[in-house]
Amino acid sequence: MCLGYGCAVKVVVGEDLTLLRDGLIRMLQAYGFEVVAAVDNGPGLLRELVERRPDVAVVDIRLPPTHTDEGLRAALAARAEVPGLPILVLSQYVERLYARELLADGRGGIGYLLKDRVSDIGEFVDAVRRVAAGGTALDPKVVAKLLDNRERVLPLERLTPREREVLAHMAEGRSNAAIGAALFITEKAVAKHTNNIFAKLGLQSSDDHNRRVLAVLAYLDG
Amino acid sequence: MTTGRRRVLARVGVAAVPCAAATSAWAVTGVDEFWPRWVYFGVGTVLAAELLLRRALRVRPRRRRWLAVDGALCGLLVLVDVTVWVLSGGGYFWPIWQALALSAVFSLHAWVVSRPLGARERELAARVTRLTRSRRGAVDRQAADLKRVERDLHDGAQARMVSLALTLGLSGELLRRDPDAAARLLDEARATAVAALDDLRAVMHGIHPAVLADRGLGDAVRALVLDLAVPVTVTGDPPRALPAALETAVYFAVAECLSNVVKHSEATAAEVVFTGDPDVLRVTVTDDGVGGASPAGGTGLRGIIDRLDAVDADLHVSSPSGGPTVVTITVPLTEDPR
Repeated sequence: MCLGYGCAVKVVVGEDLTLLRDGLIRMLQAYGFEVVAAVDNGPGLLRELVERRPDVAVVDIRLPPTHTDEGLRAALAARAEVPGLPILVLSQYVERLYARELLADGRGGIGYLLKDRVSDIGEFVDAVRRVAAGGTALDPKVVAKLLDNRERVLPLERLTPREREVLAHMAEGRSNAAIGAALFITEKAVAKHTNNIFAKLGLQSSDDHNRRVLAVLAYLDG
Repeated sequence: MTTGRRRVLARVGVAAVPCAAATSAWAVTGVDEFWPRWVYFGVGTVLAAELLLRRALRVRPRRRRWLAVDGALCGLLVLVDVTVWVLSGGGYFWPIWQALALSAVFSLHAWVVSRPLGARERELAARVTRLTRSRRGAVDRQAADLKRVERDLHDGAQARMVSLALTLGLSGELLRRDPDAAARLLDEARATAVAALDDLRAVMHGIHPAVLADRGLGDAVRALVLDLAVPVTVTGDPPRALPAALETAVYFAVAECLSNVVKHSEATAAEVVFTGDPDVLRVTVTDDGVGGASPAGGTGLRGIIDRLDAVDADLHVSSPSGGPTVVTITVPLTEDPR
């Protein structure tokens, strides 16, 4: 797999609206991705994902034939076959229930964004790259709702307000450096906060990447 | 003069013609016996019969109408008998027998009509009342909902689209002269488009939440409780294939109950339980709060009850002061009236 600008990241696109599909393909190609397949239905998407094993898939939640959560189900089924297959799910609305289902296997490589985010091309392309690299990219809307009511959640109660802020940024999929920039603190300070968060949530694993996903899951489970 | 009275006068006028003709004929021929009285009698009977039946047929409701017709006929027959008796010179009062027989028939009819309704009829009458009320409620609510949607779209997404078009037009103008300003405006336009999408999402959620369409009632409620400030557990699962109207009504009912839990109950935990059998779905929303909730209180709950009424569902609130509050929603799943 190649994630740099120098070589092409292989993408499968699952989107049934022609306008949006073409737009996504054009945008991804313009940023150096290689779109290896574009499908407009759930069963076709699952087939392509399992056969082609792309570096990342960009998938609309609502796809034919049922026009319900066909895309999400295809994504989950594909990850059951190909563990950790990176998938970025797009939707007209976001639900924590879906975010939780996507992250449930604890492997990362998951993005879940509102379709609106496509309008900020830089951010969006960044999210696709992050997911392809095994990180997470949760929509700020999924995360925002959590900040309001988190007081009640037992493991999260022990977090300081600052740590909760850091966790929210982590859930969106930002790196320590990016979180530092957003909160106007040094990367080192962020690392201290994240270590505190991991400790308070009882995540002792040595793999930092995996711990980030588990922390986000704890967040979503509240 | 009313048309009714005019019609009666016209009839009397028409009737007067044969009477006058008979009287003149009798006067000219000079026969002793005053025979035209039989002509008067015939014409009078026809007039009275028409008048009485016309009145009787206007009586409502139907059960009473046929009793009125019966009464009019019986009365008319007795009247005819008595008149014939008088005109033919009196003597033994034979009309008494017919009068007795007819009054017996009439009394029997009246007794049948006035008998109280059977259990089944009472039930049907109650159901008709209930349906009439719920239909009116449903129609009112629908009209109010449409109005709200129209206003939300007008004030929200539509206004933003107008501003978006304006900003785009302006940035097009500025593109050559001041590219930096154009770029700023385009950024603004993008933000406006995103805000318009936000508005549309909110409106659509109010009409039919997307999770409900995608996953059905059970998961829609599970998705809902994840965003609440009070921890809520959801147990059981409603049947997957429910009629859309029913599913929406129950979803919004549960949503309203839970929002009341968060706003008013001071509860630390709540529970939503789906139970039931193939014929009926039961949903209970329980919280450990302060109690004292009443369906008469909030307008929110009133709207929910209207919505539930339209799908024949019941909502029952048990909320003693000090709690716990238990709201039970019972939804029949079969077409058969209860």
